[in-house]
Amino acid sequence: MEFLENPTRVLFFTGKGGVGKTSVACSAAVKLADAGKRVLLVSTDPASNLDEVLGVRLGNAPTAVPGVPNLKAMNIDPEASAKAYREGMVAPYRGVLPDAAVASMEEQFSGSCTLEIAAFDEFARLLGGTGTTAEFDHVLFDTAPTGHTLRLLSLPSAWDGFLSANTTGTSCLGPLAGLQAQQKLYTDTVKALGDARTTTLVLVARPEASALGEAERTGGELAALGVGNQHLVVNGVFRATDRDDPVARTMARRADQALALVPAGLARLPRTVIPLAPNGLVGIEAIRAMGSAARTGTAAGTGDAPPELPPLAELIDELAGPRHGVILTMGKGGVGKTTVAAAVAVALADRGFKVHLSTTDPAAHVAATLNGDVPNLTVARIDPKAETETYSAEVLATAGKDLDAKGREMLEEDLRSPCTEEIAVFRAFAAAVAKGEGGFVVLDTAPTGHTVLLLDSALAYHREVTRQASGMPEAVEHLLPRLRDPDFTRVVIVTLPEATPVHEAARLQEDLKRAGIVPFAWVVNQSLAPLAVTDPVLASRRGYEARFLREVADELATRVAVVPWQIEPPIGPEQLRELTALASSTTGASGSTR
Amino acid sequence: MATLQVFDKPMCCSTGICGPQVDPVLPKFASDLAWLKDQGVAVERYNLAQQPQAFVAHADVTDAIRENHEHALPLVRVDGQIVCKGVYPAREMLAAWCGVSKPLAASGACCGPAGCC
Repeated sequence: MEFLENPTRVLFFTGKGGVGKTSVACSAAVKLADAGKRVLLVSTDPASNLDEVLGVRLGNAPTAVPGVPNLKAMNIDPEASAKAYREGMVAPYRGVLPDAAVASMEEQFSGSCTLEIAAFDEFARLLGGTGTTAEFDHVLFDTAPTGHTLRLLSLPSAWDGFLSANTTGTSCLGPLAGLQAQQKLYTDTVKALGDARTTTLVLVARPEASALGEAERTGGELAALGVGNQHLVVNGVFRATDRDDPVARTMARRADQALALVPAGLARLPRTVIPLAPNGLVGIEAIRAMGSAARTGTAAGTGDAPPELPPLAELIDELAGPRHGVILTMGKGGVGKTTVAAAVAVALADRGFKVHLSTTDPAAHVAATLNGDVPNLTVARIDPKAETETYSAEVLATAGKDLDAKGREMLEEDLRSPCTEEIAVFRAFAAAVAKGEGGFVVLDTAPTGHTVLLLDSALAYHREVTRQASGMPEAVEHLLPRLRDPDFTRVVIVTLPEATPVHEAARLQEDLKRAGIVPFAWVVNQSLAPLAVTDPVLASRRGYEARFLREVADELATRVAVVPWQIEPPIGPEQLRELTALASSTTGASGSTR
Repeated sequence: MATLQVFDKPMCCSTGICGPQVDPVLPKFASDLAWLKDQGVAVERYNLAQQPQAFVAHADVTDAIRENHEHALPLVRVDGQIVCKGVYPAREMLAAWCGVSKPLAASGACCGPAGCC
């Protein structure tokens, strides 16, 4: 890992979900600690699995990691921070103001905005380099998937700019108002991020065109925000040792092709290449050994035969049953939600249903995956920028239409607040769900953390709606009842047959159940289980999958389907149709329903 | 010149743009207050969610909330006297309470204190 030769004090690890950010960040942290540095590793992912990888229970404060003397780790827990923030604001007024007033104050601090602000506030304090982090030589941030990171890192400038540009003094800061005093901290945060002597941004990608493309976009956007000191890590590069294994040959060729076509913006960055590990990277020993050649090609685990599970085709009949409704694909980033959503949408459209395929993921490219026309199928994307513009225009045309120049100026300023995007996207999501009344809507949602926030806002808004009940868009009013109706909304959780994605998906399922939503099925994507592989690394990985397939089928899912690892990336209607075809071209993919 | 204080319900922001639906009364009232300020009135605005200390500091405001809960809000005081509870008053009312001469831009027809367009 070349970025560890002259490491800066602060290191950020970011990239598309599922590329191994946490493994790479943990590995770097352990290496620095082993070299005698005092290291703090922080996860800012609302769905962090740092606990599992390090094998220690983490909280909101630095915790020593057993087996690595100089390493401490922590999770920024947005829920806990938000609760502490809320309590700090409300507590002094308990018993002073009437209970009802205190309750409505609390309500005001329950939105997703507060959650994000609280997480950011804590992040800024850690980055500030005083207090908690003063005793450490290095602070490493394992961040949430791209969209969230971009938001987290752009917030300092967005809010800093918003606070300084605010001229009327009445601007919409919402729950942020209590943080106004911290403006200096935000300014310092922006400064620290832009200083190459202080901060390194490590972009993690798999050797795949889509992941590299996204890493390039992220790198570009962060460079524009002033984070210029960047490094590329290509993780999980597979080299075939068994030339007779067709899957191994194809996989190696794909990695070579992707590496040969690294986008220009990334090609100029210093680069580290890490080989594909034969097993999952969980536990300190596996983390320490990450990337070392000695570990490749063990045959451990090959004796463990994976269970035979039904293919995706068998889910389609059940999904088609009600003849309309919403199908939501959810899960960690990078697990193939977009692919599964597109395959399901094409299969339903082929059966003659009107299908609308849409995404709330800022980084996803549904249209690119579909890449062709399918009768009965329409495709759209909930674009935060466009939605914000539409919403702002609508507000100005309605609530703003009778205002004088000054009033209009104030309204426009408030509409530039960071909260506006949140509301605009939320309304667009509600509108997309509403379309499920007239046909099928397949929604490919943003990665876990963001989705949970979205549902949280659904709950918060639902309470708000029942309180106000005036002039509410019909789609917003009915959103939560619609999401909770199992005959209307069917949630399909997509995962990979590995520890982290499965356990994260399990947590997502719990969150959904708390919100009154019971997932309909699980899809395990990119599985080697249905394939005959002989290459030792792949055979080892196939054996490693077995226990996770069993865990999903036996303990977590009510319905399950497996999608085999694809020789070619499934792009275009024909390739997508193959994912849901009963006579699959892959061996062993057919199975019986449970 | 008069001092006008507004005590709002707990809100995300004074123009209400953070709610699921913008209530047009809110941006209108915000613009009325801006106009009033331009006429030389000292305007203070407090939001229960963000500046609860202001609600506690004035016994008459605290009492009003105790009696009528949130129905007392928004509450408007002029020079220490409560003049209005539970509604957002029109620009004309605000002008009258604060002793400001008749407003030029009460509706969207005009551009503001500088005169009509």
